[in-house]
Amino acid sequence: MAAEDITALLQLVARKDRQAFAGLYRATSAKLYGIVLRILRRRDLADEVLQEVYVRIWERAGDYRADKASPISWMAAIARNRALDEVRRRTPDSIEDHPEVQDMPSEEETGLAVLLRSEDGKKLWECLDRLQPDRRSMIVQAYCEGMTRDELAASYAQPVNTIKTWLRRSLVQLKGCLS
Amino acid sequence: MTDNEDIDALAGEFVIGTLDAQERTMVAARRLREPDLDSAILAWERRLSPLNEIVGETPPRDELFAKLLRRIDGQSESSLDGSTVVQLRRRLEFWRATALAASAIAAGLVLFVGVGQFASRSKQPNLVAVLQKDAASPAFLVTVNIDDRLMTVQPIAAKHPEGKSYELWIVQDSLGAPKSLGVIDQGTAATRPTLAAYKPDVIASATYAVSLEPEGGSPTGKPTGPVVFAGKLVPSTR
Repeated sequence: MAAEDITALLQLVARKDRQAFAGLYRATSAKLYGIVLRILRRRDLADEVLQEVYVRIWERAGDYRADKASPISWMAAIARNRALDEVRRRTPDSIEDHPEVQDMPSEEETGLAVLLRSEDGKKLWECLDRLQPDRRSMIVQAYCEGMTRDELAASYAQPVNTIKTWLRRSLVQLKGCLS
Repeated sequence: MTDNEDIDALAGEFVIGTLDAQERTMVAARRLREPDLDSAILAWERRLSPLNEIVGETPPRDELFAKLLRRIDGQSESSLDGSTVVQLRRRLEFWRATALAASAIAAGLVLFVGVGQFASRSKQPNLVAVLQKDAASPAFLVTVNIDDRLMTVQPIAAKHPEGKSYELWIVQDSLGAPKSLGVIDQGTAATRPTLAAYKPDVIASATYAVSLEPEGGSPTGKPTGPVVFAGKLVPSTR
């Protein structure tokens, strides 16, 4: 569904149009569920968070401003924030020890090619490509999988302060490249 | 590093998601009052949003939409099932230990009395929040009885600010701007009915933040000073 169509649906949802809400859910829930499940890795938690995300969209659709973000970015930001809040409230054990935990293939590096589909994505791809490979994958992994500095430190076998420095330097580099 | 770069780095890390729970809560509370931080966060969301394309789509179960509609109709089901409570127990015990350790230094036996009161008053689990700047410095313990919506605010290690007052705020998306829950009294636990106006799910999911205000509280009804402590409620196990 095109961005304009989703924007139109959001405007109707702001007026509490239930049919539009159903349409919006049909068009976007697989995307948002993919995002929250990736971070939470448990379907029971992702189910709960997804509902909260759409309740928020139902309540806050009127706040969406088309000049500030694409509709799907706006909704994805709500979903990511809620999923990150939830995963941070939990100890890593409560996720890992759970029978329902999803084994997710890490497709990010190859999946980066999908960035080439949009203009903004192409630009971001070029700028990510200028980072050192391990810094690039760290940024992408953190964003997509919701990893903390501690988890990145373990995964990249570096002290946590080094990770923080790398992250912040990479962000500065990315911002410079994108502006 | 200048302040601007600092804000930008913090916003960037907030968006990529690498901050821990306390840091996230802090940033979420700060962005409501700091337009620079808020726009830095929005800018990072915009820059990185193409990455959302990388994560594959997964359709949710069909039944979920019907559940969602029920929730919108106000027939919401509690999100706090038994297993959630069990998982939160360890965390809570850690906070309790931290809170008790801090109080032993700062407030002697006062907190033990406070804890005893909230632990035994109700059959329903109480909700507890430790308001703090970071994990090492809890400042206030907030307990909420969800049955009667009574809230107790217990100072743990907060130093009373000279010529200023601490004011407590409830912060939740559905409320819009932060709403005042009143000025925190110096040195004593105070139980108050100020949550009576809020729905239980709002109370349970809100962030509680303490700002530093002129003596007697904010003159405008909105926070005017810096947010110095913040935290979220978790269920107590008793």
